[in-house]
Amino acid sequence: MSSSGYGQKEKVLSRIAANRLQKELTEWQVNAPCGFKHKVTDSLQRWIIEVHGAPNTLYEGEQFHLQVDFPEHYPMEAPQVIFMQVPPMHPHIYSNGHICLDILYDSWSPAMTVSSICISILSMLSSSTVKARPPDDDRYVRNCRNGRSPKETRWWFHDDKV
Amino acid sequence: MAREVASPQKQAELLKDQGNMYFKKDRLAAAIEAYTEAITLCPNVPVYWTNRALCHRRRNEWANVEGDCKKALELDNTSVKAHYMWGLALLQRKEYGDAVKELEKALDLGRERIPGNYMVVEIWQELAKARYTEWEQGATIRRRHQPAVKEFCQSLMKEEFEKRVREVREAAGSSRIDDADSILFIDEQKDGCEQQQTDEQLSADQRRIELLSQLSKDHQERLETLADVFEKAQKQDLPAEIPEYLCCKITMDIFRDPVITPSGVSYERAVLYEHLRKVGKFDPLTRATLHPNQVVPNLALKEAVQAYLKDHSWAYKQG
Repeated sequence: MSSSGYGQKEKVLSRIAANRLQKELTEWQVNAPCGFKHKVTDSLQRWIIEVHGAPNTLYEGEQFHLQVDFPEHYPMEAPQVIFMQVPPMHPHIYSNGHICLDILYDSWSPAMTVSSICISILSMLSSSTVKARPPDDDRYVRNCRNGRSPKETRWWFHDDKV
Repeated sequence: MAREVASPQKQAELLKDQGNMYFKKDRLAAAIEAYTEAITLCPNVPVYWTNRALCHRRRNEWANVEGDCKKALELDNTSVKAHYMWGLALLQRKEYGDAVKELEKALDLGRERIPGNYMVVEIWQELAKARYTEWEQGATIRRRHQPAVKEFCQSLMKEEFEKRVREVREAAGSSRIDDADSILFIDEQKDGCEQQQTDEQLSADQRRIELLSQLSKDHQERLETLADVFEKAQKQDLPAEIPEYLCCKITMDIFRDPVITPSGVSYERAVLYEHLRKVGKFDPLTRATLHPNQVVPNLALKEAVQAYLKDHSWAYKQG
């Protein structure tokens, strides 16, 4: 099974979702957020995005990959966003790629876009002062062994300050 | 018990229920028969007519759809279904202008009565399809005709220009000068040969040179203006980006039924209500607390969208 598993129902996108994703993709092609590159696939429902660590930060020169899976009722539901292997060393990013970031879960709003998510993630990386895993990394990753989606996690969000 | 003495109204209602049951089972002939009996008993109930029209629609019997819808509208001209199905029938006949009018009526009435209903969505889709097809057909014809019209205009202008040039030359009479180019070389010729020319003749030639160059300049300008006008007309007829301020931040699509929140942000009505129901009671953009009763229609924006769509009907294209 691919890493897509994560218990997410592979339902086709609703009309609204497909329509909106098409528009987001078009917009991305003319105006991509700085430091990101969308890797072209034939799927509108899963985007693979290349992330470049910003200059003058701990991640300068490093490259990561995000996997974004869209639910049937996007944007009424947040997409599932995870880092593919190997995820950046960061106090809010678990070694299985799950990201502790409120806008991806409780604080999602349908007015947000893939672009705005990317910018939030990059700003989270850029403000980091230490390259480390979250203190509960081992326990969390063990609990996710059965392929659980981060969206099923009951997150208690880390302090905004890293 | 008293079935035999039931009033015609009651009997007709029973027949309608039967018809509905047959319709659900896709037994359209039986449904039509039941509705027809109901109509015979009580011809003044619009629903019997619209229900029968629905059966005809399923069977693609559009003349019957039209007949029943017209009758229903005579009884109740605010029937959403009757306007809607009549619009569909007109679409079948490719009468897009009239079809659009009926569908728009259905849409307005439907939104008043059942906002967010599936039928409103369906009506919008049919309307958008009709408007887009109407535009596409017009645009195809325009694309075919415009180059020919442009060429025609160009050749008329050229004729006029040549006529004027001829006139100027003829006015020069028996002068040895017979084309614009040689006029321009006159000074050199004069230097070359020793022949004396009077000052008068010189200034007359000078005036002609100026006149001809002015004619040529005017002609060029007119050609440029013409090309510009046609280019602009063509551009406006080509699908492009819909301005962002006419699009909902959630659907990213052009507004259909915009509403505005106390934060001053507008959203598509149906999706904003869905957000308030499913995601949370806050403004999606500003995150200010938001309750459904604080949301009001944004009529100015709706009019702006309609004005835009009137001139850019390609924007009706669906994803």
